[in-house]
Amino acid sequence: MTRRPLATRLIAHFILVVACLAVALPVYWMVISAFEPNADILSTTIHWIPTHFEPGNLSKALHSQPFGRFFFNSFFMSIMIVVCQVITSSLAAYALVFMSIRRKRAWLFAILLAMMVPMQATFIPIYLILSDAHLINTYFGLVLPFAGSAFGIFLLRQGFVGIPKDLIHAARIDGASEWRILTSVVLPNSKPIIVTLVLLNFVFHYNDLFWPLISTNTTNMRVVPVALSYFLSQEAGQTLQWNLLMAADLVTILPVFVLFLAGQRYMVKGIMGSALKG
Amino acid sequence: MVRKRRRGAMMIGDAWATPMSVGSDNPVRRVGSKVSLARFAHWLFLAPAMSFITVFIFVPVIYVAYLSLLRWNLLSSHPQFVGLHNYMYLLGDSNFHMALRNSALVSGAMVFISLPIGLGLATLANLGLHATKIYRTVLFGPYVIPLVASGLIWSLLFDGQGGLIDKWLGLLGTAQPNWLGTEPYALIAIIVVTIWQYTGYYMLIFLGGLQSVSENLKEAARVDGAGEWCVFYTVTLPSLSPSIFFAVVVCIIQSLQTFDQVYIMTNGGPDGSTATLVYYIYQQGFQMYNIGPATAASVLLLLILAILTYVQFHVSQRWVVEE
Repeated sequence: MTRRPLATRLIAHFILVVACLAVALPVYWMVISAFEPNADILSTTIHWIPTHFEPGNLSKALHSQPFGRFFFNSFFMSIMIVVCQVITSSLAAYALVFMSIRRKRAWLFAILLAMMVPMQATFIPIYLILSDAHLINTYFGLVLPFAGSAFGIFLLRQGFVGIPKDLIHAARIDGASEWRILTSVVLPNSKPIIVTLVLLNFVFHYNDLFWPLISTNTTNMRVVPVALSYFLSQEAGQTLQWNLLMAADLVTILPVFVLFLAGQRYMVKGIMGSALKG
Repeated sequence: MVRKRRRGAMMIGDAWATPMSVGSDNPVRRVGSKVSLARFAHWLFLAPAMSFITVFIFVPVIYVAYLSLLRWNLLSSHPQFVGLHNYMYLLGDSNFHMALRNSALVSGAMVFISLPIGLGLATLANLGLHATKIYRTVLFGPYVIPLVASGLIWSLLFDGQGGLIDKWLGLLGTAQPNWLGTEPYALIAIIVVTIWQYTGYYMLIFLGGLQSVSENLKEAARVDGAGEWCVFYTVTLPSLSPSIFFAVVVCIIQSLQTFDQVYIMTNGGPDGSTATLVYYIYQQGFQMYNIGPATAASVLLLLILAILTYVQFHVSQRWVVEE
């Protein structure tokens, strides 16, 4: 690779730094607002560093509503979805890659079709189906619609394709059952793609507002994003307690932020790969 | 053959060590011969995922099309078959026109603003500079923040009283519009949030594409005396076109699903000027319980997505190319 001239590099650095600042500024503003008195936020001067530090905002915001329950709901729902998807997707991807199936293209096409259908276009029939089964406002209602995932099958299929076919043949000759090959050969050799699936999925469902908003209707079933949206409407009318809102916002973001820092290379790879391989 | 076995044995470990126990924990084997196992095992493997996908994706797609032919208010009336009446209703409903327009505007803004920025940033992040990883991490960051949380942060930034944006405009002495409360500005605010949220994601898609552009080809162009811009236009951009096309389609599909930021920041207002297609479906279906128009709009959304996917599918055949 040729070394680029200094001027080019400086300009590139400059543009990237400006872009990073533009991206980070709203988050920084949220963080400092979370620790300020509301009056400071509403004042006309700009405080880049809080002049009055109020760490009590966090606990005040968290105690204004049963956030412990909301976090439990969010985590429980997201983890259950991830577990279901890893199981169902790895089984299906294994069948598609390593088993002889007639009309394999038809299966792949069906999965592709399923991938393009967003929840936002089918939530009414899904609601009616789950309502007939008396599963609205339950954990089952939150989890089941996402227990099988076309995206998950596709992602894992891409990972499984890279595993040498010889390994599978050897295991078959040794008399291993398909289930055995999946659990002791294929899965241990696909850890990165599984981690990618787990992370992308957890973040997606932890962040999801739409389906929990529709399928739950009591406070004890609320997940964090729904609770956050109520936070705003609840406060409306009087002066908005921006500092408490931002404190709740900060606590909401924290879990995904930590996951992101810990596993970003897997997420980045998963997304970059999606463009390469479709 | 022997070598193959050895390799397998090393990798499978315990499966090789206890070959006899393998058959016993296989339920199908007890019932029939090994032939029947091989013939039906793939059904068992595909069944869990495919049954969930069928119940929660394929059945709802058919169901939604059926519902769109009914007049049905969940609260007050029994379903009644009305043919294409709901579609005629949408044709005449100005709120629906507004929602279509808004969705088109958001999609257009994302394709023509967010994607070029993403491509530019990806090009810079692909120069092999120091600290590229840090830039990449920061720029991608907003993508993992819940849209609800981003919506709240930007509600504060756009706020007329405590908002940073109005404070800056005040310093500059320019007019400070009521961002979330007046007509063109509310939609602009929604678009700004969406760009902030997703541009890093598109940057990653382009980065994935850029890293597959042949370095040799670029080098060859340079040897022939092409400048950096020339190399970009003649080598990089054409090699990147599949990624660009993929990004455009994904971007439109994602923009058509815009809901969270609207729900949080404006509730579709003022006067429906920020209500998107999905927001319209939500309002008709879950606030007014008009299942007919809501599902008819859902079917139209599905049709648009189907056309986009079809085009994507045919332009890049690599989607289903077998290994």
